[in-house]
Amino acid sequence: MGNVIKVEKLEKKFKEQTAVKEVSFEVGQGEIFGLLGPSGAGKTTMIKMMTGELAKTSGNCEVLGMQPEQYKTARFKSQIGVLSDNSALYERLTVNDNLKLFCKLYNAPLSSVKEVLQIVNLEGEEKKIVSKLSKGMKQRVLLAKTLIHKPALLFLDEPTSALDPGNTAHIHYGLKKLNEAGTTIFLNTHNMEEANMLCNRVAFLSDGILQEIGKPNELRYKYSNHAFHIETNSGERLVLDNSPENAEQIARLIADKQIKEMHTDNPTLGEIFLKVTGKELVV
Amino acid sequence: MNITRIGAIFEKDMKDFMKNPSLFIMPLMPILMAFLYERIGNGEELPLLMIYIIIGTTFAANASGCLMIMMVEEKEKMTLRGLMMSPASIVDIIFGKSLVAILLTVGSLVISLSIIGFTGTNSFQAIIGLFFALLFFILLGIGIGLFVKTIASTQVYLTPILFIFGMTPFIDFLGLEKNSLGLRIGQAFPLPQLIKMNETGSWIHLGVVGIWVVGAAIFAYIFFAKTRIDD
Repeated sequence: MGNVIKVEKLEKKFKEQTAVKEVSFEVGQGEIFGLLGPSGAGKTTMIKMMTGELAKTSGNCEVLGMQPEQYKTARFKSQIGVLSDNSALYERLTVNDNLKLFCKLYNAPLSSVKEVLQIVNLEGEEKKIVSKLSKGMKQRVLLAKTLIHKPALLFLDEPTSALDPGNTAHIHYGLKKLNEAGTTIFLNTHNMEEANMLCNRVAFLSDGILQEIGKPNELRYKYSNHAFHIETNSGERLVLDNSPENAEQIARLIADKQIKEMHTDNPTLGEIFLKVTGKELVV
Repeated sequence: MNITRIGAIFEKDMKDFMKNPSLFIMPLMPILMAFLYERIGNGEELPLLMIYIIIGTTFAANASGCLMIMMVEEKEKMTLRGLMMSPASIVDIIFGKSLVAILLTVGSLVISLSIIGFTGTNSFQAIIGLFFALLFFILLGIGIGLFVKTIASTQVYLTPILFIFGMTPFIDFLGLEKNSLGLRIGQAFPLPQLIKMNETGSWIHLGVVGIWVVGAAIFAYIFFAKTRIDD
């Protein structure tokens, strides 16, 4: 499968301040790619450059096989969906009016309104005036608006930041379904659980610099100390490093049926982020 | 240009207009003015200059004023970015958004002119002139709407537009010397040019209004392009 995003030494400077510094990565078709970093790391700047909302200072940025000068064409815009802090709804209109508008703008069938409302768990709410909705509901309508034309590539900037766990789970389920149907998803998040649950690959961005990239499992393995945590039947707790001598001891304990519980010490994405960047993921 | 997209934006704006009280007052302004002039004129036919002042006020309040409010509101509430990120082109967005303002302008103009007893014109030249003027006020409204930062500050811009562009013919009553710079500049504005065109039948004046239209189009385009991309 080809790459839908190809970023090479991408850089963005705001006067003297460098927001993104020589970032390079690729996102393959059908992937859910997570860009992880705390607020101010440069994640939103990255999305804005890839969607044509912000001009790059230097480097290359190819999205869906198109260069930045093509990002304002209808061909590009009809293939992407963007949910960012710049997304908003018409507050005086109903949910249905808002979604119908974007159906027509994207030349999508009006039946899509029902489909996307199902994804975001807002069936039956279409007649409500947007200004009367809660923050979480508005966020879900925004996501529905982003999905209305079944984009080939979806850019999501902290899509579940305003949602409760129940609705977050529903959105995650919807995103997985969309991804299974072929939509590539570029997800900005500082929620490591979200990244862990959804992403095929993640990249860590800190102070505009890409610090690490890989599959969550591979990263966990890479940054693991490979120690085994064992609790024996007698209540003894052991932490054994991955060495030939310890392997023998573990084999013995297994043979004697002495092990009550055993697990490896894989770090979470948040712990890896802290290890790599020296910063907490949620700031 | 895509008719479906233009229609969708128009439909949305029409629904939004119905629920937006700040826009209701705009069409009333020239109607009240026409009513006042009709009273002062005591039923007599108003001079051409006064007719153009009513036309100018209608265009400035509705075409420029309404569009200015609509654009700045879309910008301030960040819905404009959604339109810009959609496949709708700049022409689709401008056309779609202008349709509500055009409807209001035409409605308000017909009522205002009928109040003062103006029966209309058959002059092709005058009709083209009015079309150019309408285009100018629309583009000016869009440009300023994109330039202004908040809804609250639109009033600061609306009043000068109303006086400088909508009521320019009043300059004749200011008692300025015939060849003074102020008078010459004022008479180069769109409405005095249309009055001159009516009086002389010369197409040159229409050309001058055309230049104003091009200037307003460039102004609107620059700010549209700026709004699409963050700094």
